[in-house]
Order: sequence, then C-alpha cells, then structure tokens
Amino acid sequence: MSIDLSIVLSGEFGQWLLRGFLLSIELTLVTLVLAFPLATVVALLRLSPWKALRGIGFAYVEGIRNVPLLAHLMFWYFGATQLLPEAARTWLYEHDAETICAIVALTLYTAAFMAEDVRSGIRSIPGTQLEAARALGIGYLRSMRLVVLPQAVRIIVPPLISQTLSLWKNTSIATVIGTAELMYQAQRVETATFRGVETFAVTTVAYLAVSCVITLIGVFYQRRYPVRAA
Amino acid sequence: MRILSKRLVHGLALSLLLCASAHADQLDTIKKKGDLVCGVLGTDEPNSFVDPKTRTIIGYEVDLCKAIAKKIGVKPTIKQLAVAARIPELQQGRVDILAAALTHTREREAVIDFSLTTFVTGQRVMVRKDGGITQLSQLAGKKVVTVRGGTQEPNIRRAVPTVEVVTFETAPQALVALQQRKAVGFVNDEVSLLDAYGKLGPAQKDFVLLDQSISTEALALGLRKNEPALKKSVDDTLRELEQSGEAERLFMFWYGPQSRLKYDKRHFRIESDKLPT
Repeated sequence: MSIDLSIVLSGEFGQWLLRGFLLSIELTLVTLVLAFPLATVVALLRLSPWKALRGIGFAYVEGIRNVPLLAHLMFWYFGATQLLPEAARTWLYEHDAETICAIVALTLYTAAFMAEDVRSGIRSIPGTQLEAARALGIGYLRSMRLVVLPQAVRIIVPPLISQTLSLWKNTSIATVIGTAELMYQAQRVETATFRGVETFAVTTVAYLAVSCVITLIGVFYQRRYPVRAA
Repeated sequence: MRILSKRLVHGLALSLLLCASAHADQLDTIKKKGDLVCGVLGTDEPNSFVDPKTRTIIGYEVDLCKAIAKKIGVKPTIKQLAVAARIPELQQGRVDILAAALTHTREREAVIDFSLTTFVTGQRVMVRKDGGITQLSQLAGKKVVTVRGGTQEPNIRRAVPTVEVVTFETAPQALVALQQRKAVGFVNDEVSLLDAYGKLGPAQKDFVLLDQSISTEALALGLRKNEPALKKSVDDTLRELEQSGEAERLFMFWYGPQSRLKYDKRHFRIESDKLPT
C-alpha cells in the first residue's frame, strides 16, 4: 500500500475536494458576517439596564450554547423546516436547503459564543466611562457606540478570532445534513478511490492551513493593536 | 530527506513485517479468539435491522453470518456500521467479514475480496407522485437523495448525468428528506425501497417506484484481501446453504409472501463469486 497523493488531488477527485474546500470557506465567511452583528445585539441585551431584555439575552446564550452543534444542525434541517409556512418551505427547497440550513445553525450557534466575548469585552471598560458619557447627556446607545465600543474592540477581537477558528472547524459537522462541504466531499472521494489515508491527509492539511492563517491573523492583530491600559 | 529515510525505511519495514506475520491467517485468528465479527448496517430491513421486541439486530444477512460462524465453530458478533465505513472497517481489521448490503463491483475487487453472491437486486428510484416524474430521464437537473458511501450515488449519476445528489449517513434519513420534499427522488436498492414503501403505511398513495432500474447489483459478503482459508470457509458454508435448501428457506422467510416484501420466488442462486462480464 503506497501513498500517492496525486490520485486524490488530480482530475475529478481534486475538483470535488476543491469544491468542498470552497464551500467550507464560504460557510465560514457568511456565518461570520451574520453572527457578529447578532452577537453584538445579544451582548447588548445582556448588558441592558432592563431586566426583561437581560433575560432574553441570557436565555439565548444559555439555550444555544448548551446544546451540541450536531443537534442544532439536525433541528434546523429536519425539524424547523417542517414548521415553515408552505411558500417559504417551497422557496427553501428550490434553493440550496442544505447550505442555507447549515448557515442558520452555525450562525445562531456561533453568535451565542461570540456574544459572551463581546459582553466581557464591554464589561472590561470601566463603568465610570459610561457614567461620564451619560452625565454629559449622551444617550445609552450613543454612549456605547462612541465611548465604550471603540475601546472594547481591542479586547474583543482576539477572542472573536479564536471563535472564528472554532467556526471554521465546526463547518465540518454540516456534512450530516448533506451540505457538500470539505468533509462531505472527502468522504465521497474516499468511497470512490478507497484512498482513506491520502484523502484524509489532504483534508487535514486543508483544515490545518486555514486554521494557521486564522491564528496568524490573531497574532498579527494583537501585535498591531494591543490592548491599551484604561 | 536522505538522512531521515534510512532509519525510517528500516523502522517501517520492520513494523510491516511484524504486521504481516501477526495476521498470517485470519481464519486461525478467528478460531483462536472464538468469535466472528460481522459488520452489518442494522438500518436495512430485512437484511439487518433492530428487532423491536428483542432489541437485537436480525435479518437475512445476520442469518448468513450466524451460519458461517457456526461452520467455523465460533460465536458470531454483530457490529453495526455506517455505509461509508464498511470497507475501511474491514481493511483495518475491526470486523472480520462484511454482511452489509455490499455490492460486488470491479472497483472494490481491487481492495477487498467477495464471497459467492448472496443476493441480487436492482437499484431504483422512489418519487413523490405529485412531483410528476414517471421516468428516469425526468430526473435531469432535479435533486435526489440517497445514502452516502454506497454504489447508489455513482449509479444514479451514470444513469442521469445532470442529476443533483445529496447523501446522508443512513438510508432512513434520506427517506425522511424525500418525505419532507427536500428532493424529488430517493435512490436505493430495490429491496430496501420496497421495504421502505411497505413501512410508509397510508402515505404509500403519495409515493411510487419508477419502473426502470438504474443498475443490477450483486450483493456479496466482503472479505479482506488474500485470506483464502476464510474465503473457502465462507463460500463452502454458502454452498451448503444452497444445496440443503436452507438458502431458499432464508430468502422466503425474510423476503417471501409472508414478509413485507412479498417476493413470490427467488430470482437468483448462491453459486458464483464472479461478476457477469
């Protein structure tokens, strides 16, 4: 049994893996773009002066974070889709339902974790800054936007980058709902070629390479924008 | 690289030698450990499925496995596998034989050996009646679902090149996707489709099997390559089952008029381990 990477990298099989890789990247980027604003909203809910809003934020974070991602994916693909109104369901099934459901599940899941990072970043800015801003007559949201958040960003970004790393790896679980990402295509190639070692070696390197890039971005950010002493 | 290579090659060669001598003959190993591990699907009625009463895995392929274990004089151990995991699990020695609705194909002959053919089935497509599809060709550009890691996906792509295929870990998941209208068709072995159709109950009126088969599959037990003693033992058992009429009885028990599948007779015999040319 000799190792021959060219079998799984060339021709049709290489194409499948490449397509899977690109979809994994797409899942990561789209989820990131959607999850970050959602996470910010949830974090602000949890920091809100009103108890009811804090309760909503708390319920979201704990409800989502404490359920495995696999269960989320199964729920959004096999469960929630059945609850949609007829027209929405028909639309969804005419489009790429596997990818859309994966993005929904990944976004909600990732946002719960990111919300906690955003919240702790905001909380690390001394409360007196918000009080000073309010004392000057600036509203709550404007104080957040102009005073607290710009300082909090430097603290929030590094953990968000590590959440992105988790997200990148988590995309692989979407294979269970038939999303044709990298793991899905890898299994397909393995079945067609019987080259398990080569297929999963290539897949591992692909995951590792992107993970390393994300980690490097994190290191670069922390060097370039270190946390300033308050 | 050159500095590394000498020591590495020696090390590898040594470990390969050790491995080679470790499983010199699989049949002896099986006799020594006292059990025959059969890899089955467990989600594929009536080949192998969980009996709701006893919660054990039973079925046609399970009975074949038990007969072989009896012939060797060891106890059978049934291990459940995913479709895509069958061949890797066999190659890595985690199961001794595969009795898992495994199609005998030329591609697979390169990596594993096959017993005598134990079943012959076509692969077909189940569709929703309201989808308006009555022929294979109408599946062009449409989405079908099936199980991952089998011959279903390559076969449907060969039959309808522009079809879109989404695969799942198990066949029942793919069936759910069809029921939920996530696809227009569900591709599987005919026997599995007939069984699934039988299970639909009153919902049967919404579904229909397309008449054309996309392929004819010879199912066989899977064996690790170059284990002549075990292969002979397996094939001899199967031949005896055929000669004694037990093979016929097993088929009728699991597939006959009393079963959900209602086959009136058996269209194959257990006699050859060669694919038709």
